[in-house]
Amino acid sequence: MTSFVPILAAVVPALPLAGALLPLLARTPNGADRLGLAVAFPTAVAALWLAVIALARGGQPALHGHWYLVDGASGVLLAVTGVVGLCSAVVSPAYLRAHRHGSSSAHDSRSWYYSALLLFWAALLAVPIAGNLAVVWLLVEATTAASALLVAFSGVREALEAGWKYLVLTTLGLSVALLGIVVLAVNQARAGRHGLSALDWHAIQGAAHALPASATLVAFVLLLAGLATKIGWAPVHNWLPDAHSEAPAPISAMLSAALLPSVLLVAWRVKETLEPSVGAATTRAVFIGFGLASILVAVPFLWRALPWKRLLAYSSLEHMGVIALGIGFGTPLAIAGVVVHIAGHALAKSLGFYAALPLLQHDPAAASQAPGGVANVSPSTAAAMGVSLVALAGLPPSPLFLSELLILLGGIAAGYALVSAVAVIGLALGFLGLLHALIEGVVGEGTPRPRGLPRTPERSIVALTAILGTALLALAATGLLLPGSSFVETLARGVL
Amino acid sequence: MSSVLVNAMLALALGVIVVRRRSVAIIALGAQSLALSIGALQLSSGRSGGFLLAAFVLLSKAVVLPALLYALMRRTREARLVVAASGPLVRLAGAGALALFAVAVVPPLGLGNTHIEHAAVALVLIGIAIVVARRPAFFQLLGLVVAENGLSLLAVSVPGGLSYVIELGALFDLALVVTVAAAFAQRIHSELGTGDTELLRALRD
Repeated sequence: MTSFVPILAAVVPALPLAGALLPLLARTPNGADRLGLAVAFPTAVAALWLAVIALARGGQPALHGHWYLVDGASGVLLAVTGVVGLCSAVVSPAYLRAHRHGSSSAHDSRSWYYSALLLFWAALLAVPIAGNLAVVWLLVEATTAASALLVAFSGVREALEAGWKYLVLTTLGLSVALLGIVVLAVNQARAGRHGLSALDWHAIQGAAHALPASATLVAFVLLLAGLATKIGWAPVHNWLPDAHSEAPAPISAMLSAALLPSVLLVAWRVKETLEPSVGAATTRAVFIGFGLASILVAVPFLWRALPWKRLLAYSSLEHMGVIALGIGFGTPLAIAGVVVHIAGHALAKSLGFYAALPLLQHDPAAASQAPGGVANVSPSTAAAMGVSLVALAGLPPSPLFLSELLILLGGIAAGYALVSAVAVIGLALGFLGLLHALIEGVVGEGTPRPRGLPRTPERSIVALTAILGTALLALAATGLLLPGSSFVETLARGVL
Repeated sequence: MSSVLVNAMLALALGVIVVRRRSVAIIALGAQSLALSIGALQLSSGRSGGFLLAAFVLLSKAVVLPALLYALMRRTREARLVVAASGPLVRLAGAGALALFAVAVVPPLGLGNTHIEHAAVALVLIGIAIVVARRPAFFQLLGLVVAENGLSLLAVSVPGGLSYVIELGALFDLALVVTVAAAFAQRIHSELGTGDTELLRALRD
């Protein structure tokens, strides 16, 4: 199976990259839908195939070639990005049919929507398997260019604001990260290591102990500060609630479930490669600091009556904080929690965003205010929102209950009892906030369903709720097997 | 790279944060990119052919980027100048203070040339200051390019040169981001009738 890895590693991002041209050839809006899906299915199959190979290797060392690196963490992110990308492509026709585009024809807007989606997906799929820090930076920057256009797709003033803020803030953040990369390159060059290969993950890790500590610390801080902007960690998260709430729902799902953890994996790899020079205490402190700050900043917003997608956006802030904490703790128990959390968050959050499609069709006011009593209007939409909220809140049998428990126990095992205690309080408050949203928004009082609304988005959401809900339960069961596995032990020793 | 060119890049960056007219800012940015490319060409002797190629691409940036920005300016005419949130002297003092603070705080980066290290970090911070201090989307776009020029200054000064693949890739990404940002600036202008991003403040919690 591993002999396929070099080919698959090239095919996975190449399929959507080349396929991005196809929707532009479509003659009708429906043709663009069909061509978009025609590219999405083989892309997802290839991504899942590579993910299965990576995950099936368990605790064996990473596979790496001239330009790629495939390890267990790559497998998790490939699986997540493959599934979420496919689901987003599948639900996109429903969004596009309901969408009124002001400045161009339905045909043109659909064609470039799919092209941008596929380009965004291509870059996202390449990030976890690229074996070089500089190349990863280029790919992350490419995700910004493609997704900023998608964030502003609706063309309304708020979407323009969100897209512009996202573009400017994340580009500036990535400029700071690039400064860190150049500082690393400077010091590699002084040690006689020149060229692109000097920035391979393994080359950096192998040389880190010999690099000057102060310069490496500067590079680490710059890289983490820059990447934090793109991950949406507090306090540099300002773009996140706006972009997630204004983007088309399928794109919001990709932003939250795939983009944020993919960039977080880059930060994780940076930690592992530079730790020999910077020191474990410093790298852990930075991750724990970002993690706690993100959880605590998110909590007050989870208590407020926010529009549905905006609530989900602040939940993303909280969950990226939880993952950062797990990586910061670094124990095998915490890393098992991180793996489950990345996958569980992706499934639950994408379902939540997909539920926004029928929700906004039934109640367009839900775009700007908190929904109320959705179960009275659309039971299937309410079911999707309920499954998503229950999972995100960490209510058993949600896999996020298990992952948060593992991360907190891992923190205590690593000697971070106080940090774990603060995190428990933050997570408990966040849980109550989401529970309140569940009661008020989903099962509270509401207005009856208007007549004559199309059923298509509802049929899609019923199917997605069944599939993603089952996947969440399966993940919770699988997660129980992770602690103590060679897969997790290897990841805890370093994601390379 | 000669210190005259480096100092000129700093002065031109400060010019972008101060000037009122977009056309003058474009000229300042073009001149800054030109100074960078001349410096890169100075360094190219004895280095790989790839580095020379990267230097020529930088030179083309000094020509192509201002042309693109000029075209954007023509397509987004402002009926009147956008009122600045603060005066030019305040902006200049703020950016200067930020740059001096960075110079005082940032330890040696390993280049062996503290002047270039300080100038590069200062340019990145001045770029960020331009984005924060200037309200028009057009000027915020210029801030992104100023920050990128700071990064390029450090990159071309790496002993033996940074891989040209990275430099060309970063330039390609910059071109992509600038194109997307220009499209945004145009849409913001057509939506609001001005490029003043201060009017985009609907999203608050």
